[in-house]
Amino acid sequence: MSATDRTAPIVELRGIRKSFGELEVLRGIDLEIFAGEHVVIFGPSGSGKSTVLRSINLLEPPTSGSLKVAGVEYGPGVPGEKAGRRGKPLELRRTVGMVFQQFNLFPHLTALDNVALPLRSVRGVRRADAQVRSAEALRRVGLLQRAAHYPQQLSGGQQQRVAIARALALDPKVMLFDEPTSALDPELVGEVLKTMREVAETGMTMVVVTHELSFAREIGDLNVFMEDGVVVDSGPRGFFEETTSPRAREFIMAVR
Amino acid sequence: MYDWGLIWQHHGILVNGLLVAFKVSLFALVISVVGGLALAMMRMSRPPVSWIAVAYINIFRGVPALVSVIWVYFGVSLLLGVDFSVFEAGVIALSLLYSAFMAEIFRSALSAIPNGHREAGHALGMRPIRVFFSVILPQAVKIALPNIGSMFIGMLKDTSTFTVIGLLEVVRVTQNLVSQTFQPFVLYTAAAAIYVIAAFLIDLVFRLIEGAYASPPRGAVSRLLRSRRQRRIQSLMAELGS
Ligand SMILES: Nc1ncnc2c1ncn2[C@@H]1O[C@H](COP(=O)(O)OP(=O)(O)OP(=O)(O)O)[C@@H](O)[C@H]1O
Ligand SMILES: [Mg+2]
Repeated sequence: MSATDRTAPIVELRGIRKSFGELEVLRGIDLEIFAGEHVVIFGPSGSGKSTVLRSINLLEPPTSGSLKVAGVEYGPGVPGEKAGRRGKPLELRRTVGMVFQQFNLFPHLTALDNVALPLRSVRGVRRADAQVRSAEALRRVGLLQRAAHYPQQLSGGQQQRVAIARALALDPKVMLFDEPTSALDPELVGEVLKTMREVAETGMTMVVVTHELSFAREIGDLNVFMEDGVVVDSGPRGFFEETTSPRAREFIMAVR
Repeated sequence: MYDWGLIWQHHGILVNGLLVAFKVSLFALVISVVGGLALAMMRMSRPPVSWIAVAYINIFRGVPALVSVIWVYFGVSLLLGVDFSVFEAGVIALSLLYSAFMAEIFRSALSAIPNGHREAGHALGMRPIRVFFSVILPQAVKIALPNIGSMFIGMLKDTSTFTVIGLLEVVRVTQNLVSQTFQPFVLYTAAAAIYVIAAFLIDLVFRLIEGAYASPPRGAVSRLLRSRRQRRIQSLMAELGS
């Protein structure tokens, strides 16, 4: 169990809706995430899990609804409410880190430079300092010895750990993980989960979309089951055993 | 009958012809890489802008070099009231044409970069312009390099048509030599050989550049260039690893 600060949510979604053309894929999402909390989002394919994550850092700007991160409003607003001042996406993304299913390392850069590039361009860290900080970030995920390697010289698990180091090096307040182990060979899943567990232990606020329900049971302070663009049911630890939603129970049985 | 000694006797003139052709092509290469990239970006943006690029590409892709240089040297110069030197006219003519080709090369290279890389850059909080120049473009250039190399060879060969405006490139100097020596077979064979060798060398150079740009870099030259960086990383690893 992690120490969570429950005074004010660090991420707050209210009535988040998202349409792609005619298709409405998020149909009103409400979610409160407190600092230090580890949130698991799960549900069938196409239910909108990725879209929820991607709206938190505005990779997919919501069509309507309120998105507050660290007290600043970034969403287009809830219909009927007066729209206040809105923060810039660039600022938001400097507070929120993201790890992708496909790793998305920059293939033309070494592991070290993958971490150093955003440090330099986002935080304005000078080259030499950025290299030291990047090396430290790689050490944290156990990959210091691979600093000079290019992504294609690394296994999938190692690439994903570099991606985690790259996001962590920027000192985000919140980390988003979109199915971080789904593209990995089964024998490589463990090392990435281990790294994520270590990140969780530092008290980082995490939102994790995953089908690894045993991992979810282990870290989930708040567990959210989604289907068809809505949150069907959610709950604290023990959710996987205690949920009363038939759909959630069915899904949990099927995944296991 | 065939005086092959003529080639050696006049090799200075022939090589000079190649250098002129090479210089024109090199200037045009730089301009058309920049112009092509700009056109590619216009081509990939929203309609009113993309139409301009589409029109440009479709027009200039179809114009032969010979027509282009005559148009620039005799036509455009008159229109604008400026006297281009033959050298300038050659550079402009090639740049106009090859910008169109480069635009297509860059467009396909840019669209080959997975969108996830762009998203990762944005998610990290990098500015779009920085994502483009530090993440997208370096990868696209790597993909485009072999094609840029063939374009450069094409440019060099196209300079042969600039003999019509009197540019002293390979064909022009060969014609001059033929009119003095009446040995067309020998001299045009030499001219052909010069183009073949030049193409071979350009190809070689581009292969070296490709190797240096590969991840990880290939070849002795690139290893040498990167050795300092590698040592820096090694020492960092040693420092923090203990
Ligand atoms: N850019 C887009 N354009 C159009 N439709 C999209 C886009 N992105 C997602 N969708 C659609 O939105 C719906 C929800 O997608 P989303 O990726 O959020 O689902 P998911 O729960 O993450 O699924 P998965 O488990 O397969 O990753 C799907 O029907 C998908 O086809
Ligand atoms: Mg998804």
